[in-house]
Amino acid sequence: MAADTHPSTTGAGGGAAAVRRLLLDNGALTALIVLVIAMSALSGDFLTTDNLLNVGVQAAVTAILAFGVTFVIVSAGIDLSVGSVAALSATVLAWSATQHGVPVGIALLLAVATGIAAGLVNGFLIAYGKLPPFIATLAMLSVARGLSLVISEGSPIAFPDSVSHLGDTLGGWLPVPVLVMVVMGLIAAFVLGRTYIGRSMYAIGGNEEAARLSGLRVKRQKLAIYALSGVFAAAAGVVLASRLSSAQPQAADGYELDAIAAVVIGGASLAGGTGKASGTLIGALILAVLRNGLNLLSVSAFWQQVVIGVVIALAVLLDTLRRKAGATPAAAGAGGGGKGRQAATYGLAAVVTVAVVGATSFLHGGSSPSANPKIGLALSTLNNPFFVQIQSGAKAEAKKLGVDLTVTDAQNDASQQANQLQNFTSSGYDSIIVNPVDSDAASNSVKAADKAKIPVIAVDRGVNKAAVDALVASDNVAGGELAARTVAEKLGGTGKIVILQGQAGTSAARERAAGFAQGLKAYPGIQVLAQQPADFDRTKGLDVMSNLLQAHPDVQGVIAANDEMALGAIKALGAKAGKSVQVVGFDGTPDGLKAVEQGTLYASVAQQPSQLGRIAVDNALKALRGKKVEETVKVPVKVVTEANVAGFSG
Amino acid sequence: MSNADELLRIEGIRKTFPGVVALDSVDFDLRRGEVHVLLGENGAGKSTLIKMLSGAYRPDAGRILAGGEEVRIHGAQDSERLGIATIYQEFNLVPDLTVAENIFLGRQPRRLGVIDRKRMEAEAAVLLERVGVNVSPRARVRELGIARLQMVEIAKALSLDARVLIMDEPTAVLTSEEVDKLFAIVRRLREDGVGIVFITHHLEEIAALGDRVTVIRDGRSVGQVPASTPQDELVRLMVGRSIEQQYPRERAEPGAPLLAVEGLTRDGVFHDVSFEVRAGEVVGVAGLVGAGRTEVVRAVFGADPYDRGTVRVAGAPLPRHDVNAAMAAGIGLVPEDRKGQGLVLDQSVEENLGLVTMRAATRGGLVDLKGQREAAARIAAQLGVRMAGLGQQVRTLSGGNQQKVVIGKWLLADTKVLILDEPTRGIDVGAKVEIYQLVNELTAAGAAVLMISSDLPEVLGMSDRVLVMAQGRVAGELPAEQATQDAVMALAVSAPATPRTTPTTTEVEAGRGR
Repeated sequence: MAADTHPSTTGAGGGAAAVRRLLLDNGALTALIVLVIAMSALSGDFLTTDNLLNVGVQAAVTAILAFGVTFVIVSAGIDLSVGSVAALSATVLAWSATQHGVPVGIALLLAVATGIAAGLVNGFLIAYGKLPPFIATLAMLSVARGLSLVISEGSPIAFPDSVSHLGDTLGGWLPVPVLVMVVMGLIAAFVLGRTYIGRSMYAIGGNEEAARLSGLRVKRQKLAIYALSGVFAAAAGVVLASRLSSAQPQAADGYELDAIAAVVIGGASLAGGTGKASGTLIGALILAVLRNGLNLLSVSAFWQQVVIGVVIALAVLLDTLRRKAGATPAAAGAGGGGKGRQAATYGLAAVVTVAVVGATSFLHGGSSPSANPKIGLALSTLNNPFFVQIQSGAKAEAKKLGVDLTVTDAQNDASQQANQLQNFTSSGYDSIIVNPVDSDAASNSVKAADKAKIPVIAVDRGVNKAAVDALVASDNVAGGELAARTVAEKLGGTGKIVILQGQAGTSAARERAAGFAQGLKAYPGIQVLAQQPADFDRTKGLDVMSNLLQAHPDVQGVIAANDEMALGAIKALGAKAGKSVQVVGFDGTPDGLKAVEQGTLYASVAQQPSQLGRIAVDNALKALRGKKVEETVKVPVKVVTEANVAGFSG
Repeated sequence: MSNADELLRIEGIRKTFPGVVALDSVDFDLRRGEVHVLLGENGAGKSTLIKMLSGAYRPDAGRILAGGEEVRIHGAQDSERLGIATIYQEFNLVPDLTVAENIFLGRQPRRLGVIDRKRMEAEAAVLLERVGVNVSPRARVRELGIARLQMVEIAKALSLDARVLIMDEPTAVLTSEEVDKLFAIVRRLREDGVGIVFITHHLEEIAALGDRVTVIRDGRSVGQVPASTPQDELVRLMVGRSIEQQYPRERAEPGAPLLAVEGLTRDGVFHDVSFEVRAGEVVGVAGLVGAGRTEVVRAVFGADPYDRGTVRVAGAPLPRHDVNAAMAAGIGLVPEDRKGQGLVLDQSVEENLGLVTMRAATRGGLVDLKGQREAAARIAAQLGVRMAGLGQQVRTLSGGNQQKVVIGKWLLADTKVLILDEPTRGIDVGAKVEIYQLVNELTAAGAAVLMISSDLPEVLGMSDRVLVMAQGRVAGELPAEQATQDAVMALAVSAPATPRTTPTTTEVEAGRGR
């Protein structure tokens, strides 16, 4: 190529051309603008100051994590541990300040030191241990998550109030997380652009051997790069925890992938050597705008994930295509080929716009303006039949009563739920039903709703430190006692059992475990061989039970904190289930009840999830019409066995 | 004008890239049974032209005729159908498959849907025999050296029944022995009626192998001459001016020893290597590829460890395996693999020039970007780097200009001992002379230069002393006056005083470009 002998001279022709050039040069920015335009066209609630600040707050944690990951990706590495390190740092802060009385300033330093330490370990394993970054940070992902569970003993720890202000607003309107995001972004841009370590990142990522032979101390730089990523992860963890007023051991689970996506959408290459802080910010904003917009448009929770995936792919595709079109200069004289490619880029942009607009307007379920009251239902997860039944009960009732019901799925992530609640509040829903991922973590969002005079009903799990109009729940502790009693009596008061616990850190797991313990006190002849968590998950129930069977082949009874785990345990027990081993589950899901019918599951402590959903909607409607509602509505639980299963329906 | 022997004809081809005219009204033709050399400086447009024939690019204007009929080549399939095969400098082979599998990749003979290994290997053996290379069809490609890889590529081209074989600088990475072998194969193919397009920078190869020469300059074909044309004339056509002297060495008075290496040994790689380089001196290091020259200079620079021996710069010993200490003492290395080790290809000229001095330009963690830019601009002007601007990506520079950038970063660091490893490989004549001038300026200013080169005329023309290495040892040292091609080669192939305990290969073969 004779590129060097014929320098291309590109003339910028006026302001319009400059803008066009800026957009063509930055596929991610174009994608963001397309999204914002599409969202504002589709939802009147989108383009308000309040909501845009919401988007900022919701982008903040991902963006701060992603800034740190940008350093690593620019230097041709990868950091999968940032989500876990964020949770660990926040946990260290809360644990030292709240539980051990360490002054908050020092606790903050400890949190940052935790991030640095985790990063240094990553860097050491990669630079000196010659581990691939993927593996080293994958190991750290697990270690940091485990340590934060160990330190917190699986329960969220309240965050010191003085630090929690980081989750508030400044002057009543400017959210502090947005401010922190901007400051961290400026720091990241400064580090990348001006400092020795920043320039080294590009050189190392571009060609590590050339960098080494030019005298860069590559190993030391890598230590520092991963340590920097750790610092940013710690900052993100503190912001996340202060938004929720509590340090959650399970917080920021899976955020590393969001962060990596943000960096790549922002134009960095996973091969290293390219990437900018501004691009990363745009990437994080694209993700936040999408989540926010899809909430506002009441797109079904399941479809949201599909749409997000498609938009990530399209955003990067747009950027790749733009690059492939080369440095296609806007100036004329590039010849026909250049024009064609430019047209292709525009064409693709148009297709993306149409696709996004089309898909979202198709998917958002007719929330056309109507006089019907609008109620938002924020569920902790839809990855579990129990909550799906709450949803269907609520939907049926809403249809009957003429209510527009929007359901969101937080995927067991407290901060995503905070975002969804915030979106309900800012787009003026008449009432909110919340099924908290975590009772402490939901408090800030519920307070905000209270302030906006929106009635809030909690379902299944309560909300701590904030006022809800009603709690619709079955009693987990009482249910746990019931489960313990059922199994003990079936075994005749003596026998060996194991307990499968729910996901560490959730209130349901804690309360049910407490119930089991209380119930078993009355039966000294029952010996508990082991208690292990299986995360409310059927597959994990199967694995954990198989493992326990190796150690305790003589087990006679199993108490599982939900039916899913009980069904997994039954699979592991095989022919023993229902014969020599009695399994008791919890929840009374359709699958669980079927197993009771077949005799493999001895009993299930049945909640009535569709009743929970139904009653929650009833109460929400009552509350928004100003009628009085009971503070707690207990939906009865009952033990379902083969004898009474026929007559029972959730 | 249609000729029965004519395989290919290109008329008035034009190709533009954004902002650049790569080719403009280029004419070229190829007959059966001839070697047609394509000659031109780096960046003249040779690669663009052959990519047009292999279907990687499409012309904007002009036409391509094959066997007298106009054809369109829109992809690799089209060129394969027309019997055109291309052997690039970077080979298209899958390292973990066998030789036979690579030759028949995608076209493996099948029986009942299962690959018929026996037949495939038998057919591969026939092809390899025809090429005249002694390699098992079952050998893994990863285990082969560069010369044999090239032979496998040629066998692959033959298996496609290629009538046109395009070879892009096939001799650039071969030792002279291997080059002779390659020439024998090419001559045999020529006798079989294959038309060969041959790209090379080595003018002496043209007379040895070629029939006709087409010279391309700045994207235009400037002439077609017989291969017997004198070298001076070829250079004049190629560069557009005549080059007075190919090796303009101006000797300086040697001063005190700057670099002294004594008894340097890495077991199994190089043994007891001792030499010194004085201020103002150019010491050339000759030898066959694989003689351990690159390994020695990398060890001297601290890039790799060594087991025994000492390295002193201006009398002070250097710690082992410490690039930064070597740099601090004033050593700089221009590595053999320019793209893989010398440059950060996706970064700008400015960034690359500033790489070595970045640490020194840092105050309190902040890089003095303004100072770096000024220094880069100064050195780029001094070296005459031809570029659109300091912000241009080095990837898009021509080879000669890339090499100037690599040398430039060491000049900025006030290097006292510059080690050049194959400094002009793949670089055209004009840029070569500019690099030699630079060497002159350096030695005139009192620096010492240690230069590895497999290009014998270059070693002889530019060195004040020649060090010859053979099988990991210094086989001898010749002052410039006594250094002739014969004397150097005699030493290079000489058996070492103590034979190596573990002979690696019977054939001396180039490593894979490292």
